[in-house]
Amino acid sequence: MSRFLGPLDSEGRVPPHQQTRVAAFLISAHGALARQFAMALPMRIEAAWQTELNAQFYRESEIVSLLQRTASWVPDMALGYMAASWETAWFPKPIEGITNLPLALPIDLAMLAHAVHAGIRPAALLPLGANANDPFVFALRRIEFESGRLLQAQILFLKGESLVPFRDTVNAALEQRHAEVRRLWADALESAGVTT
Amino acid sequence: MPFLSHGSYRIRYELDGPAGAPAYVLVNGLTQYSELWAAYREALLARGFRVATFDLLGQGASDKPTLFINQDDQVAALRLLIGELGDGPIFLSGISFGGLIALRYAIEHGDRISGLVPMSCFAELTPQLLLLGNALRTGLILGGTGYLQDLLLPMNLSDQWLEPLLDKLDSVKRQGWLVNDVYALQNLMESFLDFQPLTPRLSAISVPTMILNGEFDFLTPRHLHETLRVEIPNSSLVIIPRAYHAFTLEKGVLTADLLARFADDVLAGRWQGNQAVWIAPEEAGGELTPFPAGYDHLRAIPVRAAPP
Repeated sequence: MSRFLGPLDSEGRVPPHQQTRVAAFLISAHGALARQFAMALPMRIEAAWQTELNAQFYRESEIVSLLQRTASWVPDMALGYMAASWETAWFPKPIEGITNLPLALPIDLAMLAHAVHAGIRPAALLPLGANANDPFVFALRRIEFESGRLLQAQILFLKGESLVPFRDTVNAALEQRHAEVRRLWADALESAGVTT
Repeated sequence: MPFLSHGSYRIRYELDGPAGAPAYVLVNGLTQYSELWAAYREALLARGFRVATFDLLGQGASDKPTLFINQDDQVAALRLLIGELGDGPIFLSGISFGGLIALRYAIEHGDRISGLVPMSCFAELTPQLLLLGNALRTGLILGGTGYLQDLLLPMNLSDQWLEPLLDKLDSVKRQGWLVNDVYALQNLMESFLDFQPLTPRLSAISVPTMILNGEFDFLTPRHLHETLRVEIPNSSLVIIPRAYHAFTLEKGVLTADLLARFADDVLAGRWQGNQAVWIAPEEAGGELTPFPAGYDHLRAIPVRAAPP
């Protein structure tokens, strides 16, 4: 097992079965975020901060679209079972210590987004010889770069003044979310022959 | 790969050399990781030292707290590591951010170390340093770790070091990019948001202290090191010729030699700090020379020092 995708083919492309697993996982995670941001996005934006919901929704949708169109898909019998476990993990979760639902829901969404944007680095899986002009390679780099930018909204919210009274609770729940997302990502990669 | 436990976090460290030998503990700068001290490990082991390095919380293979990293936790992690080293003499050195953590350790637990070497270091955020730090943080946020590296490389290293690497900078940056995460670096940078100047506490450092400053360091320029020299009683300031902020990368052989000589001098009772200002040799093994008497070491042009 390697810590990088591969072995690359003679054109510097990632093997299709790895593209399929990696793209499926990322589509599941970013697709879930897109759906949850869509649910949170009001028909009419009344507050400046809600513009960020709009941005997050479209960026997540862009990532899903990009992966659908750049990955070399191959049949993968295990994907159905794996995708079910991923989708279950993205469901909103109660946060111990925060019973106010209108507050808990956006915190939970921000935590999931933080864990996905901060904890999953698909470009770091690319070996040195990856072809920079290959669409899938380019997509992984773009997703990691965009994730770093999208993450800033989650950082601002989760570190913000409004959550100071819940700081320890949020911190502990976020560490858990990170650990859960990292484990799922590590399992998905391991199933494709990549160790983290 | 051994780890220390600090609360729920794990801190990765490396320790080599014979138990009981004098130890050097080396603390990383902001974007660094333990492996960057490999040449120091080799050089100091060959001179009879133990060498301990570690990844700070948020760096490399250590855990990366998701939202906040408190500098108190970094000092606590360093204390844990030093606690692993037994009762022999310990010399502590750190560069830049790591130098700051080393200073804090020396203020709070100075009785546990025999000598201190802050490198490219600072005790307070001057307006220039604060604004540079803010700009670097914005660069990280907007452009990711790679862009932060793009900013730091030309700021902190010389033309002579960079020129042969110009067409392979991506490979120079790659390991640092791989092991450092945007959110973790951002948390490390944001640990300065509630930073309190250390200057009023520096006089509590009583151990022999050799302050190293690159001649051309403009990220943490001479006057920041001058604060350390003036406030730490048993100190000397040593200027590394033709060096920038990251001279530990660029001038590893010379710097490792200076570290070893400093520790040897302290252990032999030869060290005299005297708050003196010295110029390091160009090459390892050369003589240190006193800064020319009567000239102002804070200026870049030869200006006569004001009478005391």
